[in-house]
Amino acid sequence: MEVNGQLALTVLMGVFLIAVAAWLARVEDWRSYTPLAGGGTVGGTAEQYVSEEKPSGVIRWLTTVDHKDIGILYGAYALVAFAVGGLMVVVMRIELADPASTVISNTFYNSLLTSHGITMLFLFGTPIIAAFSNYFIPLLIGADDMAFPRINAIAFWLLPPAALLIWAGFFPIPDVIPAQTAWTMYTPLSAGAGSGNQMNAGVDLMLLGLHLSGVSATMGSINFIATIFTERDEKVSWANLDIFSWTVLTQSGLILFAFPLLGSAILMLLLDRNFGTMFFSVDGGAILWQHLFWFFGHPEVYILVLPPMGIVSLVLPRFAGRRLFGFKFVVYSTLAIGVLSFGVWAHHMFATGIDPRLRASFMAVSLAIAIPSAVKTFNWITTMWNGKIRLTTPMLFCIGFVSNFILGGVTGVFLASIPVDLILHDTYYVVGHFHYIVMGAIAFAGFAGIYYWFPIYTGRMYQVTLGKWHFWLSMIGTNVTFFAMILLGYGGMPRRYATYLPQFATLHQIATVGALILLAGQIIFVWNFVQSWLEGRKVEDGDPWGLAEENLVTAEWTWFERKLQTAVTDGGEEEELATDGGNPVADADAESAADDE
Amino acid sequence: MDEAPGLSDQYRTASPWPVFIALGIPISELGLLFGLFPLAVGGLLLFGGSVVGMLSESGYVNSTMWASVVFSVLLFAFGSALAFTEVNLVVRGYATIAAAALLVVGGVVFELFVREQRDAF
Repeated sequence: MEVNGQLALTVLMGVFLIAVAAWLARVEDWRSYTPLAGGGTVGGTAEQYVSEEKPSGVIRWLTTVDHKDIGILYGAYALVAFAVGGLMVVVMRIELADPASTVISNTFYNSLLTSHGITMLFLFGTPIIAAFSNYFIPLLIGADDMAFPRINAIAFWLLPPAALLIWAGFFPIPDVIPAQTAWTMYTPLSAGAGSGNQMNAGVDLMLLGLHLSGVSATMGSINFIATIFTERDEKVSWANLDIFSWTVLTQSGLILFAFPLLGSAILMLLLDRNFGTMFFSVDGGAILWQHLFWFFGHPEVYILVLPPMGIVSLVLPRFAGRRLFGFKFVVYSTLAIGVLSFGVWAHHMFATGIDPRLRASFMAVSLAIAIPSAVKTFNWITTMWNGKIRLTTPMLFCIGFVSNFILGGVTGVFLASIPVDLILHDTYYVVGHFHYIVMGAIAFAGFAGIYYWFPIYTGRMYQVTLGKWHFWLSMIGTNVTFFAMILLGYGGMPRRYATYLPQFATLHQIATVGALILLAGQIIFVWNFVQSWLEGRKVEDGDPWGLAEENLVTAEWTWFERKLQTAVTDGGEEEELATDGGNPVADADAESAADDE
Repeated sequence: MDEAPGLSDQYRTASPWPVFIALGIPISELGLLFGLFPLAVGGLLLFGGSVVGMLSESGYVNSTMWASVVFSVLLFAFGSALAFTEVNLVVRGYATIAAAALLVVGGVVFELFVREQRDAF
């Protein structure tokens, strides 16, 4: 039986490799390197002159190394992951509408809880940021492409296998069950100790997937650092580098130091699970995992929030009719957050019994990080103060970001304080706090970017009314859901449980209603996004937001304007024929005029 | 461009290799972690071959054969470390060494056959 399995695997692998080789030979057309074999002539021109930049069809998307295409791939991937993670949590919230375990089993709840967290952080959060940064940073800094276009493509293509591995436990594979370790993967549970079922291969697959997504993020970050340092246009200096590029540069620095550590810790855990090492099973092993994990995990929070802050800092002033107030200080605060983020990790461990002197120092740094965060918040508010505010959908999402960020941030300041944390640790208060940031702020900034740049990457405009519906349902849904969680936390409701005491039922039901409101908003978003991309009104003006009036045009819109103009002169877009008088004429008239000549 | 181009030459913004590098990594990881010999060999071969392909496409190396030899030396070293030291992961080590050997064969065949064909014309 064993031999047969190996044999089948060998044959499958062989067939796969042959298929790859055949496909490569076809795509690369090796024979064509020798001109005569292809029927061409030496020095001939007819077959050799190539004007297109990209192949067509599916091959274009499989082989592209163009930063804009890769940005679109990242975006599509992230939105699919957002839908998966979102639907997972809808099932969880429906289960939580009732105190007992009614809809799904407790173990399945734990599996969904684990996958929801990992999916949203690693398969939605990081990629949606990469979507914007890939598409727009080369445009914003005047680069032709990323510094390493092929590495860029590798970084993206690592993500689909990562997602499949992370979700592998949910697929009908015999003997593989989903991981139930929560996204923090605390040992000894994640090391498979005890009589539980976490020794299962599903956990190994999840760890491998997570490791892959980390490799991908690290490759991407190296690329962004190299691009922003070396590929800037002569006109773009450090002094006038845009705010979004600053935040992505800082984020890439954080990734460079944080993700390899996660990768190493995961490898150690995999070795513990499969090869009999004892990194985390000896005395102090559990606390070692927490230190390693959170040394990555807390910078990860800022990896996820800094670029969205950059998007808000870029978009919000465009609709306030003013330049960003205190630009320099927003940059300084970004850098300050980047540095401080590595000195706060043990605030996740206040309740573990670590040395109180250590705790105090981590409390101090954690409280200190409120200062640069507040600098940013006050700068956004001051930018809007007395501005000419236009409440477009991207602007609404930016204002929603600021509002939710304040709530998520202030609840975080309380958690940073040891005595408060010891009361609220491991309650729904923490869940409410960080969801105000990840959903209320990070996802909101993502939506702001998606709507703001929609004309650039689709050439069309979204449906404005549906955009407003999306915003208001998201805003109300977020606040209903996560404010209820904060109250649940004050009441002492512990996090991560599929069942709870009846006294928490009302607030849980409110949170479930909020989640369903969120779901309704996102369904509207998907409809608006897809339908507008396919059928929306075409954008003919390179400045659809009217930024030129206030002198607020940024480089990517200038690029877009130029692209529209090039398309018209190439005949690439539909073009109205005009008589000398400048009046458009119908096609029939034009043809008859041509006949006359 | 003075030859009728393949994909890499024809299109500035396309390359067939990244997607296979990205597939080679998880396949070889799965093979090595779970000790699945065929997956480990195939994955490493896919990864190594694609890296060599990408390096020669982008002009970082001149000889495909020598690039694959260098890569297989690295694989051989890693495989030997697994198989012949105290680590003692014999199956995984041999899988890596097998991949190294096949990669050299692939590089040589490419050099002899495909290059030969090019030069013939």
